[in-house]
Amino acid sequence: MDIELSEISSFIQAIPPFDSLPKPALARLIRELTINYVRKNEALPPEGISDPRLYIVRKGALSCMSDENELISRLGEGDLCTEFCKQSLHLPNDIQERAPRQITTDEDCLVYSLDCEVIRELGEQYPSISDYFSYNSAQRLKNKMSKVNEEAIVSSSLMNTSVSDFYHSPVAGIDASQSIQQAAIEMTEKGYSCLVVLDKTKSIGIITDKDIRRRCVAEGLPITTCIGEIMTQNMTTIDIKNNAYDALMTMTAKRIHHLPVTKQGEVVGMVTVTDLMNNEGHNAINFSSIIHKAKTVDELKGISALLPQLQIRLAKLGASADHVGKSVSAITMAFTKRLIEMAEELFGQAPVPYAWLAAGSQARQEQLAHSDQDNGIIICDSMKPYDDAWFENLANFVCDGLASCGFIYCPGDIMATNPKWRQPQKVWQKYFDGWVDTPTPKALLNSSVFFDLETICGDASLLDSVRKNLLQKTTKSSLFIAHLSKNALGLRPPLGFFRDFVLEQKGKHKDTLDLKHNGIAPIVDLARIYALSQGISAVNTIERIKQAAGSAAITKSSAENLIDAYEFLGILRVKHQANRLMQGLEADNHLSPKELSKLEREHLKDAFKVIKTLQDSRQASF
Amino acid sequence: MAINKLMHWISGYETKRKKLLKKVPSGPLHDFLSVPFPSLDTPMDKLPILAVDFETTGLDSKADKLLSVGFVLLDQTQIKLNTSYHQIIKTKTQLEESNVIIHQITDDQKEQGQPLNVVVEKLLEALAGKVMLVHFARIERQFLQQACLELYGFAPEFPIIDTLVIAKRQLDKRDVAYDPSELRLSSLRNKYKLPDHHGHDALNDAIATAELLLAQMASKNKKDKVLLKDIIL
Repeated sequence: MDIELSEISSFIQAIPPFDSLPKPALARLIRELTINYVRKNEALPPEGISDPRLYIVRKGALSCMSDENELISRLGEGDLCTEFCKQSLHLPNDIQERAPRQITTDEDCLVYSLDCEVIRELGEQYPSISDYFSYNSAQRLKNKMSKVNEEAIVSSSLMNTSVSDFYHSPVAGIDASQSIQQAAIEMTEKGYSCLVVLDKTKSIGIITDKDIRRRCVAEGLPITTCIGEIMTQNMTTIDIKNNAYDALMTMTAKRIHHLPVTKQGEVVGMVTVTDLMNNEGHNAINFSSIIHKAKTVDELKGISALLPQLQIRLAKLGASADHVGKSVSAITMAFTKRLIEMAEELFGQAPVPYAWLAAGSQARQEQLAHSDQDNGIIICDSMKPYDDAWFENLANFVCDGLASCGFIYCPGDIMATNPKWRQPQKVWQKYFDGWVDTPTPKALLNSSVFFDLETICGDASLLDSVRKNLLQKTTKSSLFIAHLSKNALGLRPPLGFFRDFVLEQKGKHKDTLDLKHNGIAPIVDLARIYALSQGISAVNTIERIKQAAGSAAITKSSAENLIDAYEFLGILRVKHQANRLMQGLEADNHLSPKELSKLEREHLKDAFKVIKTLQDSRQASF
Repeated sequence: MAINKLMHWISGYETKRKKLLKKVPSGPLHDFLSVPFPSLDTPMDKLPILAVDFETTGLDSKADKLLSVGFVLLDQTQIKLNTSYHQIIKTKTQLEESNVIIHQITDDQKEQGQPLNVVVEKLLEALAGKVMLVHFARIERQFLQQACLELYGFAPEFPIIDTLVIAKRQLDKRDVAYDPSELRLSSLRNKYKLPDHHGHDALNDAIATAELLLAQMASKNKKDKVLLKDIIL
């Protein structure tokens, strides 16, 4: 069977959920297919078919229209049309989703179809099939995310990184005829705990700290003994092609701490247990401490060049977008703090208490490498007009410093260098009061970045009391919330995908998906609205949604769905940016559908649906 | 065309079927001939069709051997894969290397095949009361007639639709020179934007031919109902 219908089966087995079927089940399924040719501009089901069937587009294109004749989705090669299965499989409609009534062909189509009964029977045997068809988008997304989280724990970094990412090269070698003392001197000078023992140029063994302790000192051997006597022969090695996990397992199994790395049989480096253990620690904390030690802006600049590497590394380790965002934000914070310290050394102590504020993605701890800077300064009301000169110097020094570290100047001039955003507490309070009391849409659009504000350095109580007053007002002002919502709903997620295009509302096609504006930003906006309407002081998006869950703003289950959608979009973004950075390209947010697997497209569509549902219910509430 | 139709009427396959039925002793061929063929006025969307493809060792039905048979039912414009059949035939001749390359059927596989009579019996059973659909009819018609002659002593007439001839008639009508390669199954499928086809096994080719016929019929004006007599060979 599998040879005879090879063309059809290779087509079907690439389509989720059928990709999960074992070969014999796939072969049985393929035998149940019916092939129809449907002319352009005809409706499904094809003439002569009255029983409920699942359709698979083999060639051509279909459009699904709602009752109101609005485009819901377009289907191309490899897409499934479940519309006529819904009743017989008891499929749930997505929340508030209007069932499409009309499915028509946009081109001449070759369609495969399956009796729904076949799907039902298959589903009884293979849960992957019944799960796929019986869940709505929110449930499917939840399953995906819980799987992602499990995988992250299992694969936890080491599996995905090669030994070549860790090993030290070149290795220090010493000739077997040298004395133990000579070896100890060598090791001390180089700061190594291990040397490769050579016979001329051939590596014949290894000598470690432990060998000297146990086989020389403890045994009372003279330190003039040649190392050949105490070295470990037949050393265990690992080929450079292995992953870090293999290296760790080998060392654990053999109870050794040093593992020479070989390339085509030649020792080319060394990897130690400490290297691997430090792997997880090779993160924001390490980075922050180096930043703290930097003496000049030039040194900071050098360190900042490593930031894209860190982002790639985190992405490779399978870190969630949340983790990456927090790490990168923490590092930006460290850069900012160090620059402020340098400025204070240069210009002397601040004349009055103040705080350096970060706005936007940095405040939300959702920053990715080298985004633009959004900042401001809040100053104690006791400041005198002439004090501003000091703060201006500070602002110029820090903003210029950040810019030379790769954090480009804010195109909207939301920076402490702008006198408007370098003000005493009472002025900040007045700004916020004004935005909330007279929320003109334009003012809100420009200022919404300030509703995500966090103290980076200085007196945190200055912002805290402004925020407290602000939240008291926003929870009571339905007009403000309505305007904010209206602004936020301007960004709508696309409908889904059609062939290798992004399908927008009204059927427009685009070549790329703007992950930021069409997916992540709408969720960030919703979370901000929930927080401001419920008086939640958190600014991190996930934190805001979690705290708003179960309030009047959003139900617990919708909140979970939204977080799933947010995390899924975040993973794609981090992965996409890491790929770009590795190719030496700028880390943008424009994803080509060609980069996405069929399953990823499905999950994205599910995420879009979750966002759209919550946007719609937001719209209905004002 | 007109003469063609007249010929069908005078010495049509139904007349021939009835005549032969009287001569053939009971057995698979007799069973096949007992079922009337569809009438020439049957519209395409009601027509039971069996898409058939053979793989052979060559073009000469007397000297060459049938290697494998594939078929699938095309009923009321639907191709039903649960009716599909594919069988390699066990023959005594050693396969020549050049053929193995084309058909990818090795001597080993052939050893596990079924004898010719079993396969032809299956085919006749499926073909009873239906029109045979092939791409380039000569091979299937001659080899099947030859097989019947060897097995049962008679070579019946089969009503046949040939996708190559349908395409050829269309091209001839346009009175523009064309390359014969345009008539190949894969070229014609490309023309109708059907999925790429890398056939060379009998069942895949039979399905590919059935899909091509559906596309050819869909390209005709919908109001002009196509009848069997319009496209029969």
